[in-house]
Amino acid sequence: MSGTACTTDDTAVLLQRCAHGDRGAFRALYERWGSRLHGIALRITRQPSLAADAMHDAFVQVWQQAHRFDVERGSAEAFLVSLVRYRALDIVRRTSREVPGHEPAEQEDDSPDALSRMVTSAEGAALQRCLERLEEDRRRVVVMAFVEGLSHGELAEKLRMPLGTVKSWIRRSLLSLRECLAS
Amino acid sequence: MSDQEDLDALAAEYALGCLDLDDMKAAERRLAEDPVFARAVAAWERRLTPLAATVAPIEPPVDLWERISAATEPPRDNVVPLRRVRFWQATTAGAMAIAASLAVFMVLRPPEPARVAILAPMAGGTPVLLATTERNGRLIVRPNGAISVPGDRDLELWALAKGETKPRSLGVLPAEGRQLVASLAPDTQLLVSLEPRGGSPTGQPTGPVLYGGTLTAVN
Repeated sequence: MSGTACTTDDTAVLLQRCAHGDRGAFRALYERWGSRLHGIALRITRQPSLAADAMHDAFVQVWQQAHRFDVERGSAEAFLVSLVRYRALDIVRRTSREVPGHEPAEQEDDSPDALSRMVTSAEGAALQRCLERLEEDRRRVVVMAFVEGLSHGELAEKLRMPLGTVKSWIRRSLLSLRECLAS
Repeated sequence: MSDQEDLDALAAEYALGCLDLDDMKAAERRLAEDPVFARAVAAWERRLTPLAATVAPIEPPVDLWERISAATEPPRDNVVPLRRVRFWQATTAGAMAIAASLAVFMVLRPPEPARVAILAPMAGGTPVLLATTERNGRLIVRPNGAISVPGDRDLELWALAKGETKPRSLGVLPAEGRQLVASLAPDTQLLVSLEPRGGSPTGQPTGPVLYGGTLTAVN
């Protein structure tokens, strides 16, 4: 593989090549995205074996469904990140959190700099700007839901808040994000 | 709240990842059937994906690529000696030849396939593809000789579970066959349709279904 900087466009090309059965492109995609996607899977599942299973299933899906990626409309990054997140969410909803008393390791990064890591793209900068317009505690719920993959119920328990409040905070926050991002 | 807003709110919650398992599964079923909902989810995935950049990358385990590679590798030509036994040329002896060749197939290729489907043209005729599943969930689809596909088209493989009305895509099927991992119930029908390059844009077959066959236990 070349040592050139990776752009989303490169990833889109790799996905298109995967759709036509190019094993080298598949390997390159894994080399390029493996660490980032594994970090995301591990943050959601919190267990290395489950994170590896999520990665395995997601990459098998990438290989089988690369043809579903629409280069005209889609973001290659969103395609990959979403596949891994949904696999991790599915696995974690079925397993680890059913274990009573399971206390996940704290590995949150609550530093104010965490959100600034998004500002590597125009979309990231816009999302950061819009998140910052939310009240801090509401922003925290949205970010925790996405990054840690916590359900409404798990968020309510963790934050010791009524379930209805968590649900309405998330709904309203997402609505205002959509409006802000459209403006 | 209007239906449109409800739909978008559900799409947002699904993409955010805050639904419980039942709601998540319900959303996934809707995703497969409702293109408006699917577009709303895709839009939310694009909006929220930058948040993923806040998570620190962590190297995956060293053996992970091996596992992924093994689960997705294309069939090797020297594994299944279908052409050597001229399996599909058995036009006169029909069912006897198929039965005999399957026996050869199983002897030569341990572990034994758990199920076999013979895919023939929907209108009847000589079988065109052989699909076998192994106990580890691997599905191998092999052509009988050359299959010609127009240059601007792709074949797509579908699984239609017994009692279901909508098939599930198993991805594009190269003319030389494919190996994939899929969870397939007994009596699932495998179908092959002719689609635009890259596969059906809708998630359901859009072109003619050319070949089909049902997965049947072989022992």
